[in-house]
Parts: sequence; structure tokens; C-alpha cells
Amino acid sequence: MANELTLEEKSKGRESYSYWGLVFKRLRKHSMAMIGFFLLLIIIAVVILGPLIWRVSPTQQPEGMEDILLSPCAAHPFGTDEYGRDILARFLYGGRVSIFIGFMAAISSVFFGTVIGLITGFFGGKIDTVLMRLVDIMLSIPTFPLLIALASVLGKGVWQIILVIFVFGWMGDARLVRSVVLSLKEEEFSEAAKAIGVSPLRIMFVHYLPNVMAPIIVSTTLGIGGAIVYEASISFLGFGVQAPLPSWGNMLQHAQDYIFTHQALVWYPGIAIFLTVLSFNFMGDGLRDAMDPRLYR
Amino acid sequence: MYKTEVLLEVKDLKTYFFTDDGVVKAVDGVSFTIHKGEVLGLVGESGCGKSVASLSIMRLVDAPGKIIGGEIIFKGEDLLKKTPEEMRKIRGAEIGMIFQEPMTSLNPVYTIGNQISEAILVHQDIGGEEAKKRTIELLNLVGIPEPERRFNQYPHEMSGGMRQRVMIAMAMSSNPDLLISDEATTALDVTIQAQILELMKDLQKKTGMAILFITHDLAIIAEMADSVAVTYTGKIVEYSDVRTVFKNPKHQYTYGLLMSVPSLVAVETKVELPAIEGMVPNPYHMPQGCHFNPRCPFATETCRKEMPELKELEQQHLVRCLHPVQASKEVV
Amino acid sequence: MRTYLTRRILQLIPVIIGATLIAFFILSLVSDPFAAMIENPKIKLADIVRLKHQWGFDLPIYLRFFKWFGSVVVGNWGPSLLYPGYSAREVIFRALPITLQVMSLEFIFSILLSIPLGAISALKQYSKTDYSLTLFSFFGMSMPTFWFGLMMMIVFSVWLKRPSGVPLLPPGGIQTPGMESAAFLPRMLDRGQYLIMPVIVLSLFSVGGWVRYMRSFMLEVLHQDYLRTARAKGLTERTVIYKHAFRNALIPIITLIALSFPGIVSGAAITEYVFNIPGMGRLVLSAELKNDFPTAMIALTLSTILVVIANLAADVVYSIVDPRIRYS
Repeated sequence: MANELTLEEKSKGRESYSYWGLVFKRLRKHSMAMIGFFLLLIIIAVVILGPLIWRVSPTQQPEGMEDILLSPCAAHPFGTDEYGRDILARFLYGGRVSIFIGFMAAISSVFFGTVIGLITGFFGGKIDTVLMRLVDIMLSIPTFPLLIALASVLGKGVWQIILVIFVFGWMGDARLVRSVVLSLKEEEFSEAAKAIGVSPLRIMFVHYLPNVMAPIIVSTTLGIGGAIVYEASISFLGFGVQAPLPSWGNMLQHAQDYIFTHQALVWYPGIAIFLTVLSFNFMGDGLRDAMDPRLYR
Repeated sequence: MYKTEVLLEVKDLKTYFFTDDGVVKAVDGVSFTIHKGEVLGLVGESGCGKSVASLSIMRLVDAPGKIIGGEIIFKGEDLLKKTPEEMRKIRGAEIGMIFQEPMTSLNPVYTIGNQISEAILVHQDIGGEEAKKRTIELLNLVGIPEPERRFNQYPHEMSGGMRQRVMIAMAMSSNPDLLISDEATTALDVTIQAQILELMKDLQKKTGMAILFITHDLAIIAEMADSVAVTYTGKIVEYSDVRTVFKNPKHQYTYGLLMSVPSLVAVETKVELPAIEGMVPNPYHMPQGCHFNPRCPFATETCRKEMPELKELEQQHLVRCLHPVQASKEVV
Repeated sequence: MRTYLTRRILQLIPVIIGATLIAFFILSLVSDPFAAMIENPKIKLADIVRLKHQWGFDLPIYLRFFKWFGSVVVGNWGPSLLYPGYSAREVIFRALPITLQVMSLEFIFSILLSIPLGAISALKQYSKTDYSLTLFSFFGMSMPTFWFGLMMMIVFSVWLKRPSGVPLLPPGGIQTPGMESAAFLPRMLDRGQYLIMPVIVLSLFSVGGWVRYMRSFMLEVLHQDYLRTARAKGLTERTVIYKHAFRNALIPIITLIALSFPGIVSGAAITEYVFNIPGMGRLVLSAELKNDFPTAMIALTLSTILVVIANLAADVVYSIVDPRIRYS
């Protein structure tokens, strides 16, 4: 399985690294993963430190019309939006919101999916049939329209959006973990553990969980990027994070109305989403290569 | 030894693997000769370059492996100087090859009939119908029952032994002068293994082709080969005809290998089987001097400093050892 | 084969019903289609009560589902609230062909592009071509569909203009007014102008992912023992790649394409929204916005059936390509 070492690594024998040491070593050599990692570091630093330096309110709407849709100037380096709010401040705060939603939604999906996958794969039988049917069904629904529907019921807070993305996000991970567990069950060590009377719970958490860690980590990394795009899409349609609280998605909500006149409204949040998702995808790809020696050549 | 014409002469072949972590000298200066109709056994522990040597002859070594030196003279011409296209025409026509894993060596999405006739069509100027007839003959030849029905079956519908027969039929399709068998029976059950060996011996007698037989199993060598080359860490350590090597092994490694073969005598007398101490060295960090020295009970200072030459110790008996086994011990 | 198909279709029916059920419950949470009506002075209370009964809104939700499902099965899809005066069926059958057009174009375009590109990327692993294709596919996978749509619009409708001053490509819609009655060819050319951007936008995401996967499937196949066998037979490199490697790499890509179908339907919805295309996706979103429960439900159900049929088609193709699949 994923934890096997390649022949050449095995032959290095005694001076060999631990599995995670090897993963780390391979990761450092993976240029895309490193680009992704540093890009992400920069992005996170900007959205965390940015608002501490640029202390303009992201939500304050000036009175009067003269501050609306300003071009970049000294007071507003990125200009102002259709309500006269400072785009730079909204951009920095919005990043915090978007990335937070991405993290939370992906981690909760993966966590829930892993639990379901472990249970169904391990116990089989009726639980497995029922839950996997549910997974099949949920995977056949085009989720986006339902995502919108659910978002409009739950309301437009940050936690609600996380919940919405989570509800439609766990099925893939459940399937993945289940298939890994099923194949592990076939291996000798499972038989051996059962034979010497190791309890099912212990087998599940001590023996299976570490083996599904590699695919789970990859899935989380890619999932964060995916969740950020979901948040952006929902907010773009106006069902996401409620203004005046900014997110990169809802900053684009009315941008389409201004593409002929104020394209800056489209540029900044879009590029930020793109780069963030790109860096997660780069890292996910690197992690997959680093953890799966079959692909490492 | 052999008086017939030389078919293949490998001279000082070097195939190295250039990995991120260093250079692995998988084949490091190997030389041997195969005469027409001769069966040469190449024997050694796994990971000592036997398979790479055979793939080098076919020029099928994948990156990061590379043939960096030597000559492979086949029928008087150096295969390493051939263009890829010339080489392709030799593969499967004049040199056939069968591999270790019958379960994965056949393409799962085509029928075996398709895969064998394909080999015929690419080298022989005949039509599809003719090729099918020839394929069914070949299936018959390798002892596959109901060849007409089997022709349309897929690999997954056959057992490992049957698949290996298909591989042999494929390799034999153009009556090659040389058949390379790379651990072809290793993955099979013992009884099936015996059948396949019997088949290969039979085919060899019928066609008079030469066989390069690669294995780690000394019993198979004793059964099949005329001469034998023992390899260790990419180098030949002992090379002679099969009787000489088995009756009178000179290299400590060969001696150790032969001693560790269980025999009925040993079972009866309950003598403990001696095993060679230690393990094959790390390919990235070969020991100084003779590569076998860390495992050799007779190693001296010189052995730890310089690699001994492969020398003709007796008539037609090449040994790479400074302290060859003294007494003529009967081991098998 | 026939019994296999029948069995697969029978297996799919519970999936469709289950999916419809989930959609029904979620949409039931959202829409009270009567709230708006009550405020509308033109609609009489008696009518509302009648409608409520007709649609089963006076029943508990699980009974309402069966009532709804029963009437849908017999073809009574209810009125459209979004477009008063039309039935949901009329509204949907106006939108469906447009979506099918966009999606089939995107599908053909994506497959024709990504399979060869992925194979090339694998065959030339670590070359400049491979690196550029890898970069391109990451670009595609990381780009939010709607934002890429906006960018395309800025470039092709705002920046680039024809000599006459008209945008190079129309920023939205599906047909130039007045072209409805034009001859076939000019009408198709006109349609083409409107579809170029949406199809490219929608394809980018699938192409990005598929190129990447095709590359890794192909790489996996290139290291298989049977390719070494094929080379040892003396086959030309062409035959080795096209006959032996390619076909095996196609097997997993079929599953992958089938799995990405729901994603394409979702992507189509947001693309239609951005480009103002009156297709099913836009219809579902607007119906949800306007609490048009009957239309939204039918549109969602049809989309699900579409996905399920696509999966079935993938199964059939799979069993043709891979002889190891048995029908028993």
C-alpha cells in the first residue's frame, strides 16, 4: 500500500528514514509543492498581517456619492467599490473569511468522510449497504443547485456556508477511505491482528487509520482549494457570506455589472482565489507524489 | 566446452542506473559467450543484475538505466551499434524473450490469439488467416489444449501456467536462434514449473535454439543448463560448464550457494543447512575491494582493498577470487 | 449483455428516487411558493387554498413527496411560478435543448482535447511540453469557473472589438434578436458566436483535470510488464503505444469522466448564469430564487436522471473496452 517504500529505498536498509521523513525529503525536492507552499505562506501572511497594517475599515460606507467606485489613489490603493468601501481592506479581510471557510469546510468533510469510510469498510453488512447507497445517491445529484437551495435556507453566515459545503462534501472521502480499508482487510496483518485477538476498535484506529492518513492528507489539501471555490461561487450568486462582511466570493457578486467600466472589481479577488486554490492544488499534487512511491520515479 | 559456432558474445557489458541518489552499477563488466544450441544459466541472488543483463541484450533497459559500455556481438554484429529500427527487427524474430510474471506480462484487453499473431505478422510476410493458422500450431506446440477455442480467450481466463505457455508460444513464433528466459518459472507452482521446464527443454531439442536461462534456483540450472555463470553485484564471479561448477565450485560465494541448497541427504542426516552470512550489499555503497568480502569467511586485507580479476583457474573455469575453495568438495 | 443492462437500469431506479427525495426535502425547506401569492392582491385566497391542496402542501412532507412524485410520473408537472401562464413542462422543454447543446459541445471538446494532451504529456514526461501541459492543467483546475467567465468577457467583449465597434464576441445570451427565423446556416453561425465563450469556460475545468489524470494513467500503463512484452516481440513503438498502452489507459479515464458528470452539470449552471444563457442551470437557479418549486424540482430531477444515464453509458463503454468485466 501507500506506506511501502520503493525498492531502492528499501535497499538503503539500516540508515533509512522513517516513512514521514522520506515523505518530507521527497516533498522538498518537489518543486511544484514547494512553490505552492511558499505561495500559500505569503498569502496567509498577507491576509493575517495585512489588516493589522492597513487599518481601514472594510465595511464602513462613506456618506455621499463622491467616494463610490474610485480608481486607485493614495487613500484607496485598490480603489473603492460600488458602496464606496475600501477595496484593499475588503480584500485583506475577505481573504481571512474565504480561507477560513475553506479550511473548516474541508477539514470537517474529510473528518466525517473518514469516520463513515472506516465504519462502512470495517463493519460491512447493513450499515455499509445503507450508507454507501446514500453516498451513491448524493454523488449523482448535481450538487450546486442544491447547495444554493440549502444556503438560502440556512442563512448567510460564515458557519452556515461551512455547513452547506460540508453536507455535500464528505462523500468522496468516505468512498476513498472505505476502499482503502477494504483492501487493508485483505492483507495478512489484519488476519494476524484478528487472530491474536486485537479488538476491532484498536485495529481500526491503530492499524487502519495510519494507513489512510496519506490519502486523507492529500484529499484535505485539495479539498480546501475546492471549498474556497465553492464559497466563492455561492457568494457570487448572492447566497454566501452576507455583505457587509467581505469574502473574496461576495466581492465578486456585483462585479459582473461593472465589467465594462470598473474591471478592477473583478481582478483582485479573482486573482487571489485563483492563486490560493493553485497553491493548494500544487501542494496536494506534491503530497500525493511524495506519499505514493509508485508515482515517484 | 562447446565446439559449435558462437551465437552471442557479450563483452565487458556495463549497464548503470543513474538515480537521484547515485549511480547503481547493475551490470558491471559482464562477459559471456553462448554457442549455437547452448543453454547458459545465469545464476545469482535477486538484485545482482541478471535481469538487467538480459534486458540489455534486447536493448530494453528503461530510464534511468543506460548501457554505457561493452559489446553485444550477436551473429557477428554488435547489437549496441544497431539503429532502433534494426534492433526492433531482431527482437521477437531472432531473439525471443519470456518474463517472470505471467500474470502481468500479457495485455489484459486483447485475446491471446491477437497477441501471438501480432508477433507473427510483424516479422513475417504473411496474411491474417495464415498467421491465425500458425498461432494455433504454436498453441498446440506449447501444449495448450483446444487451441482454436483458446485463440479467442483473454489472459484473465487462463491460469498462470497457461499464460506462461502463451508467452513461450509468442517468443517461439518466429523460430528465434536465442531464447532468453528471465526467471520464467519463478512465479509458478512447483508442478507447473516442472511442466514448463520440460516444455522448454523439449522445444530446445526440437529447434536447436540457444537459451539464456536466468534464475536464482540452482536446481533449475542443474536440470537445464550446459554451462553456468554465477553473478554477484553485477559481476560474474564464476563461469564454467555446469558439471565443473557443481562438482568443483571455486568461488566462496558459489560454494556457499551450493551448500545452502537443501538435499535429501541433508534431510535424512538432519544436518543444519549452512546459510551465507549477511546480505547483498547496498547498491549505492558497494564495499571496497571484492564485493563479497564482508560475507566471506576467508577474506583478507587484500580482499578488502582490491577487486580480484576473473581468472582462468583451471581449463575453461573462470573464477574471481583470491582464495578459491581448496579441496575438491563434492557438494551436490 | 441485455440482462446486465436491465439489471443496471433496475439498480439505478432507487438511486434516482433517492436523489429526488433528497432534493425534494431540501427544496421543501426553502420554498413556500404561497408566501408571495398571499401578498399578491390579484390572487384570490380560495385559489391559493385550492392550489395548496392540489400540490399536497396541506399534507405532511413525506406524503407530499409521494403525491408530487405520483403526479410527475403521470406527466403532470404543475405550473411554472417563474413564468406565470406557462406550465413547468413548457418552461423546461424550452431550456433543456439549450443546455444539452452546451453540455454536449463541452463534452466532445473536452474529451477530444484532454485525452491526446494527457497522453502526449505522459509520453514526453519531464519535457518542456509536459511541463507546459502540467501548468495548463493546474491553471484549469484552480480557476473558478465563473471568474474565468468574467475574464473571458472582459477580453473578448470589452477589450476586443470588431471594426464596427461591436464586441468581438457577444457577452451573453444565446441568439442575436431577429435571427430566430434566419436560414439554418447563418442561424448556426450566430449561435456559435454565443456558445464559444461558455463552452471554453466550462471545458477548462474538465480539461485541466482530465489531462492530469490521463497523464498519470498513461504513465502507469507505460510501466506495465505487458508493454515490455510488446516491445520484446519487436512491435513498432507506434503499435506499442497506440495499440497496447493507449487502450489500457482509456479504461480508468472512462470511470473518471463518468464521475465528473455531476460536476459538469453544476458547472453548466453557473456558466449559464454568468453568460445569461436560458438553459436548465439558469432555470434552476432562478426558479430557486423565485421559489418556483415545481420547476426547480423537475429541473433537478431531470439533471439527476441525466447524470445517472451518463453513468450507465459509461458502464456500457467500460464493459466494451475492458474484457475483464463480466455481465454475470
